[in-house]
Amino acid sequence: MVMVGPPGGAGGGFFGPSATSTSAASGLPFAGVPSELREGAERILATEPEPPEPDVRYEPAAGEPPLTLRALVAPERPHIAIAVLLVIVETVTGLAGPLLTAIAIDEGVAERRPGVVFAMAGIYAGLVVVQALAGFGRLSLTGRIAERILEGLRIRIFTHLQRQSIDFFTRSRSGVLLSRMTSDVDALSALLQEGYVNLIVQGLTVVLVTVVLFVLSPTLAALLLVIVVPVFVVLTWWFRGASTVTYERVRDRIADVLADLQEHLAGIRIVSATNRRRHNEVLHREVVGRYRDASLDGSRIGAIYGPAAEVTGLVGQAGVLLVGGWQVLDGNLTIGELTAFVLYLTTFFAPIQQLVQLYNVYQQGNAALGKLGDLLAVEPEVRERADATELPPIDGQVELSGVGFAYVEGTPVLDDVDLAIAPGEIIALVGPTGAGKSTLAKLVARFHDVGAGRVTVDGHDVRDVTLESLRRQLGIVPQEPFLFHGSIRDNVAFGVPDATDAQVRAAVDAVGLAPLIERTALGIDTPVHERGVSLSAGERQLLALARALLARPAVLILDEATSNLDLESEARVERALDTVLDGTTGILIAHRLATAMRADRIAVVDDGGLAELGTHDELVELDGRYAALHRAWLAAGGAERTERPRR
Amino acid sequence: MSPWEPVAATTGYPEPVAGVDPDPERSWMRRLAPMVRPHRRIIVVALLAALIAMGAQVALPRIVMLTVDDALTSDDGNLVPYVALMAGVAVVRGIATFGYRYGLYGAAYRLEYDLRTLIHRHLGHLSFSFYDRVQSGQIISRANSDIRSIQMFGAFAPIVTIQLLTLIGALVVMLTIDPLLTAVALLGIPGVFVAAQRLRDLVFPLSWLVQARLADFATVVDENLNGARVVKAFAAEEREIEKLARSARRIRWVSVVQIDARARWSPIVEAIPRLSLALVLAVGGWRAAEGAITVGALLAFSQYVLLLAAPFRFLGFVLILGQRARASAGRILELLDERPTVVDRPGAVDLLEAPGEIRFDGVAFAYADDEPVLEEVDLTLHRGETLAVVGRSGSGKSTIARLLLRFYDVDDGRVTIDGRDVRDLTQSSLRHHIAFVPDDAFLFSASLRDNIAFARPGARQEEVADAARDAAAADFIEALPDGYDTVVGERGYDLSGGQRQRVSLARGLLADPAVLVLDDATSAVDVRVEEQIHAALAERRHQRTTLLIAHRLSTIALADRVALLDEGRIVATGTHEELLAREPRYAELLATTDRTAAEEPARW
Repeated sequence: MVMVGPPGGAGGGFFGPSATSTSAASGLPFAGVPSELREGAERILATEPEPPEPDVRYEPAAGEPPLTLRALVAPERPHIAIAVLLVIVETVTGLAGPLLTAIAIDEGVAERRPGVVFAMAGIYAGLVVVQALAGFGRLSLTGRIAERILEGLRIRIFTHLQRQSIDFFTRSRSGVLLSRMTSDVDALSALLQEGYVNLIVQGLTVVLVTVVLFVLSPTLAALLLVIVVPVFVVLTWWFRGASTVTYERVRDRIADVLADLQEHLAGIRIVSATNRRRHNEVLHREVVGRYRDASLDGSRIGAIYGPAAEVTGLVGQAGVLLVGGWQVLDGNLTIGELTAFVLYLTTFFAPIQQLVQLYNVYQQGNAALGKLGDLLAVEPEVRERADATELPPIDGQVELSGVGFAYVEGTPVLDDVDLAIAPGEIIALVGPTGAGKSTLAKLVARFHDVGAGRVTVDGHDVRDVTLESLRRQLGIVPQEPFLFHGSIRDNVAFGVPDATDAQVRAAVDAVGLAPLIERTALGIDTPVHERGVSLSAGERQLLALARALLARPAVLILDEATSNLDLESEARVERALDTVLDGTTGILIAHRLATAMRADRIAVVDDGGLAELGTHDELVELDGRYAALHRAWLAAGGAERTERPRR
Repeated sequence: MSPWEPVAATTGYPEPVAGVDPDPERSWMRRLAPMVRPHRRIIVVALLAALIAMGAQVALPRIVMLTVDDALTSDDGNLVPYVALMAGVAVVRGIATFGYRYGLYGAAYRLEYDLRTLIHRHLGHLSFSFYDRVQSGQIISRANSDIRSIQMFGAFAPIVTIQLLTLIGALVVMLTIDPLLTAVALLGIPGVFVAAQRLRDLVFPLSWLVQARLADFATVVDENLNGARVVKAFAAEEREIEKLARSARRIRWVSVVQIDARARWSPIVEAIPRLSLALVLAVGGWRAAEGAITVGALLAFSQYVLLLAAPFRFLGFVLILGQRARASAGRILELLDERPTVVDRPGAVDLLEAPGEIRFDGVAFAYADDEPVLEEVDLTLHRGETLAVVGRSGSGKSTIARLLLRFYDVDDGRVTIDGRDVRDLTQSSLRHHIAFVPDDAFLFSASLRDNIAFARPGARQEEVADAARDAAAADFIEALPDGYDTVVGERGYDLSGGQRQRVSLARGLLADPAVLVLDDATSAVDVRVEEQIHAALAERRHQRTTLLIAHRLSTIALADRVALLDEGRIVATGTHEELLAREPRYAELLATTDRTAAEEPARW
């Protein structure tokens, strides 16, 4: 029982790099790291060297070899050989004690030769030291091997994820993907760190002890193997199964308890306002009670197994003393040998116990390996050609010719679409949800490959150029403005990491976020996540626009957010939009007429193609669907079209 | 029990049996003592079982010694009684061990149950000002790791105490066999303690660091999964891979440090008892060869050495658990010492009838230590009236609603209902008559039916459907494959903002309240749907007083009267037309509002 580490592994995020200064923010004086550990942790961190610059290359076109255990450990083979050697030394030296004791008793004590006793004790002490040294070497070596393998694997899986196209992320649940990178890698880690080493240590121990027991006394050994060991194995097997089941139940139920508490707190204002407090108390008692019952079941199983295993061992020992004692009395066994036998017995049960427990580690480790292998086997939908060329700096001319696309075969979303966008032109795509506006935009950015026809940018087919060079010049501002952990600066400069502070400031000012910067003490270095400044939905969108503005792509694809902004923010976003679009080719996926009207031309996307295409005035003249919508808007009090200011 | 706080659920699990000692001056153990006391019977029985188990453990090597010396090395020995005694003692030890372990764990888990339910109940009574100040994540972590560390200490501390008692028993037996060999056997013990302590000093903080770095790593992965669009859009894959590689490297570094700490100290912890064994073999073997002790004694000693080392390996662990339990108890007691700021006055009366006239008289209010939000608000709502409060964001509109429901107490002035100060009424009866629909439309991860029936968990399906219909939510709910049984996803994100608001509104309407407070509750609802909602509400408008906190013209237009809030005061009241005509600040405010109201229908 080595109980180290945070209880239940809880509170993972407490000690992040920024966690030391959070107590004040929580409102209660001592939140965060357990204070008694903080000093020790900081002392350790002070010794950390500056890590070398990571040496990673992103090759979007590269394929992944299949993931097998053999391939995973192959580069470590020489180290593993040394580790196995150390394990053998450690195990063998660890088993010498009882034999040496037997010799000391039989040849030393019985024969009244203290010299033999001292010699045996000296050898014993020497072997203990050798064992400790081998243990030291083995632990640090296997730990390092495993950590190297895991580091490589983490990067490899992540790189493979980066190769996937956007739809992969939409399709897969992010929680599942995250658990591949966390719990599955952890399961594999347990397999590498403990699983294999223990298999060798314990397996070897069992085999060696069995051999020694047979040499000492075949009768006793046979007796032991036939009667005591099966009882012990069955008992341990029962415990393994029962404890796994209850452990999972406890885990599920504590999750229920926390989820219930979390909701109660998140909705506490509603709970109070609706007089729901007592009802919720009763519900909480139910989930906590169920958790308590599961915990009690778990502790009962443990409380049965531990003593039962001990009693089995002790009764076995009594049996050995009885039968062995008769042999001694008959003169078939020496006292020393019997002593050795009894002492080996105690080292015999522990490894069996361990081996049975290891079963779970194997099961989980192998399952994790399988799941990670499946993930690495997923082929990216969009692949860069091996002979892809760098897209030269573009003017921003985009052309779709005869483009067709279907997510599901047989139900085309787009069919034979032709559209030419001149450099610097702003085109708005409008149309009902699901008509294919976003798909059209994704094809331009090559988030999908066209099913038919082609998309060209300045005359280059998007499939012939490298993805990196394409996307560097062709920016997308997604609908949900996603912010990364980090400062305002990190987020705004996301597309241009080497931007100067002045450039970042300028972009932030241009979208009208200067007041936000002035509001905060740290300026553009203010963190934007939970511990930093809280941003309104409008401010987040403005930051996303500043990000696009700083990257200054020649073609900008903008998915208008439908989320509800307050009026002031909406006006600010619109102004910022004009600034960002100035001088670039723009493809606007517009959800509101007011936005669409600001474009040079408007395309109504419906029924797999462009139903109408033209300037605002032309479409109003045409008296089609756009005109109908426009009339409804005017009737509801909408203002006439305002020109987009041009600089 | 208050009739205003109905309970429509049952559970077989009891209320927490006791609370903590309220005196904050006392030590944490004394303060928790009242919670332990109800379980004292189990604890006493468990400790008795532990004494038996301990006695058996000390006796066993002694019996082995007798067996070897009396039965094996003397000629007329009969083994059977000794071996039978040994097996019998072993079985007794097994049963007693089961008894004390299960008893102690049982008590610890019951204590945990009491603590959890007690904290939950306490949290329900705390005021809004507490929740404004404290992050719920912090409370959850207290409820999780802090309670668990107290529970672990509760289960382990007695076990180590018992192990130490065992040690004393073993020492006594050893001394009666051979004092010299006892001294030799004890030589290595301090080393075990020091080495085990050293190992834990290093490994404890390290495992926190490893966890923290794994969490940082998970954050990078998580944001790349959720922000994949942005990463792709800016072709930032390689940079993100570098970021992750750095994070993976940081994990590896701290893991290797941890591995080295273990590699250095755990073989030492293992080796010291073995070295003691070698020493006992040398000295004991020599003494046995001299005839000073028997072979059986030598055998017994080699078992006692291992028994002596055991408690010292875990002593340090329990000391740390104790330290941590103290810190955890401090955090939990701090939470339990929080007092609600809004409480029922002694002698507060129930509001029995539906409220008629609601008045704000010279109300002033500031959140915590912030700038005052309301300076001097005078406002009257007549029975059956719909009043809209408008003002810029941050002008304190929502605060007016919160003060009416007495989520906070006014700093100055008073809020009265039919002439009675809300502070003289019980909170639950006040809230029974006033339904509050907030702007954020928080939905619980339960079925839509349960969400709508939140205020009255026992409500019938027809009542739920009626409320949904009035809130214009029935159509979309009934169109869902599971209808009212649809379970809302985490924080309700799988419904649109407007849909969530409609469900939240239905929740408010279910109780058919006499007073309805809508705090910007339809801001995300389509204007046409909003009209529909207000048409439904208008049918009952003369039985119901409605307070609207509004941004949109379309919402404001539905009110009988409008009150304009500016700089902490109501600067004008009147109908929309009146204010438009005579109040320039009102027109100015609406100028920005006007535009989007009109844009709404032109969404695709």
